[in-house]
Amino acid sequence: MHKILLVVRHEIVTTLQKRSFWVMTILFPAIILVFNVGTQILARNSFSQEDVQGILAGAVDQNETIAYVDESGLIKDRPAELPAAMLHAFADEAEARAALAAGDYDYFFLIPADYVQSGRLIVITTDFQPLNTPNEDLLSFVLAYNLTGDEATAVALLDPTRTMQVQAMAPQNSNDQSNPLAFFVPFATMFIFFFLISMSSGFMLQSVSREKENRTVEVLLLSLRPRELMLGKVLGLSVVALIQMVVWMGGSLVALNRSQSLFAAMAGYTLPPGFIVYALLFFALGYLLYASMMGAIGALAPNAREGGQFTFFVLLPLLIPLWLNVSFIQAPHGALSTALSLFPLTAPTAMMTRMAVGGVPTWQIFASLGGLAVTTYLLVLLAARFFRADTLLSTSSIKWQNFIAELRHSG
Amino acid sequence: MSTVLISSVRKSFGRVEAVKDVSFEVFPGEIFGLLGPNGAGKTTTIRMMLDIFEPDGGQVSVFDGRITEAKKQRIGYMPEDRGLYKDLQLEQTLVFLATLKGLAESEAKSRLEGWLKRLDLYDHRQKKIQELSKGMQQKAQLIATLLHDPDLIVVDEPFSGLDPVNTRLVKDIIEEQRQAGKTIIMSTHQMYQVEALCNRIVLIDNGRTVLYGEVSKIKRDFSGNAILLEGHGDFSQVPGVLEARRQNGAWHLALGSDANPQEIFRHLARQDDVTIERFEIAEPSLDDIFVRVVQEGKQSREADHA
Repeated sequence: MHKILLVVRHEIVTTLQKRSFWVMTILFPAIILVFNVGTQILARNSFSQEDVQGILAGAVDQNETIAYVDESGLIKDRPAELPAAMLHAFADEAEARAALAAGDYDYFFLIPADYVQSGRLIVITTDFQPLNTPNEDLLSFVLAYNLTGDEATAVALLDPTRTMQVQAMAPQNSNDQSNPLAFFVPFATMFIFFFLISMSSGFMLQSVSREKENRTVEVLLLSLRPRELMLGKVLGLSVVALIQMVVWMGGSLVALNRSQSLFAAMAGYTLPPGFIVYALLFFALGYLLYASMMGAIGALAPNAREGGQFTFFVLLPLLIPLWLNVSFIQAPHGALSTALSLFPLTAPTAMMTRMAVGGVPTWQIFASLGGLAVTTYLLVLLAARFFRADTLLSTSSIKWQNFIAELRHSG
Repeated sequence: MSTVLISSVRKSFGRVEAVKDVSFEVFPGEIFGLLGPNGAGKTTTIRMMLDIFEPDGGQVSVFDGRITEAKKQRIGYMPEDRGLYKDLQLEQTLVFLATLKGLAESEAKSRLEGWLKRLDLYDHRQKKIQELSKGMQQKAQLIATLLHDPDLIVVDEPFSGLDPVNTRLVKDIIEEQRQAGKTIIMSTHQMYQVEALCNRIVLIDNGRTVLYGEVSKIKRDFSGNAILLEGHGDFSQVPGVLEARRQNGAWHLALGSDANPQEIFRHLARQDDVTIERFEIAEPSLDDIFVRVVQEGKQSREADHA
């Protein structure tokens, strides 16, 4: 036991000494969160602003004028709220092209005579400009207005489901969905769990590979049994992961304290009872599951580079909820989200994300935890069988046929 | 009572028989040479002896019985491939490895200072191991092997990467350990170091013990199978000679087991293009014996396959 504790301490100290650990801990998640949450919020905002003010705001902000040639004669009027200066009609295509050539406009819309029948709309630009896209929202609004003759109907036509509200009969969370944290908290939970588990289990692979590459493992095996070494590493790196969690939680609290509006919003946001306890349980089991699989890869691969080729396949289940994050935000208790939160390999991120939204039936939480615990137990047993002296001292490349042979051998 | 007893051990990895039949015994206070060509099964034998690998058959006894965790604390092992954390500081690494061997951290640090100073590494103790030269890393590995004051010391190529000054220093340390009553098993391809240090040797080839005993007796047994020759002409293509090499102006001929010095002399005397100024039956070096035994084994296996 004393030797296992020495390995635990060694793993903690040597990992915390690494600059790469702190770079990964502080910088990487921040960049990912900014990119992902930022784009999600932008996407949400762009949908939520699909009303007259929303459409106008962007165009007015950019001081934009829509130039067009209306051969169909459809545009007879403009919505009352649309300033006249924002629309410029040319009499014919030749006149519009001359204005384009003179540099007055970058592009103009040509509405053909058969527009209503064909739906065909042409944009004529001075040059191919992939980053300067025509403002079709504004023109759509003007066309819809002229087709319907009513501003409200035009807006409804452009986004018929913008005010949809879901009223489920199943228990729902009590949080106000207009609170920005109703979106942010589940999303952040998903990211935190993904990073915590993938990074800390990645440290396991690095640690085992490093000792293989350095040949230190040969010296260590004279003092420790392979499974003692594995246990020491798993425990040590779990502490490292907890430190990482504390850093991220601490960072989040500091950010909340600095932003009074966010702090106020947080006060109005409630997490389900026992959330922290469940979070620790899902993290512990998820970490054990993935760290032991990564440890097994480290034991089989001759170096970190070769082992790294297999990590994608191991971490794939953990990534799936991330790829399907839209379904967790839009329908956290839908069939897909529920299935992923009950499947053991995706449960740590999926269930915690659903729990952060709230309203998850208790039986589902326990079923998810139970399945995860059983799977973790079985995979830890399997990984421990790969963690043998002959695999740890082998310099052979890892191949699928070797992997299958090892599975048979370990059985 | 022997420190190590290896009796008919064997070990396979899949279809590969790494060790087929190896036996030897090592006693306290001796430096024992574990020799063999590359891939002969030396490292696998060492790993079985140290309980890193479990043998498929045969018997391994260390300190008069099966190896236990307590007995492992009394062993120092220096593998051929240096086994140190390259990205960690020298002192930190050596203290960690010593504590795993049961030494208290304070005691490890205290002992380490003396060793670092003796091996001229004290000023480098805060450096990462990858920043040290190859020779320095080799000396650091020796410290890792000896810091916990083991009774059985197993060193694989201990002189690798060392300059003559440090080679002498490491030889002196190994000899000191022997004088202190420690058992030392040394595996190396540097035969002159084996001749200088070892009392007894075992030669493993193709997973089997092919030669075992006292160095002096083995050399006596093989005398008459080497010739020291001075003269003019090419002596490299003489029938019955396994290896001919020039050494300090003289030719050293290692003879095959069926060659006879008298026949070699008669053959040379009949040659018009050579003159002989000195012809002497020499005691073979361990190097000659190693080459002869290994080459004859290889020829025998090739004949069996044919």
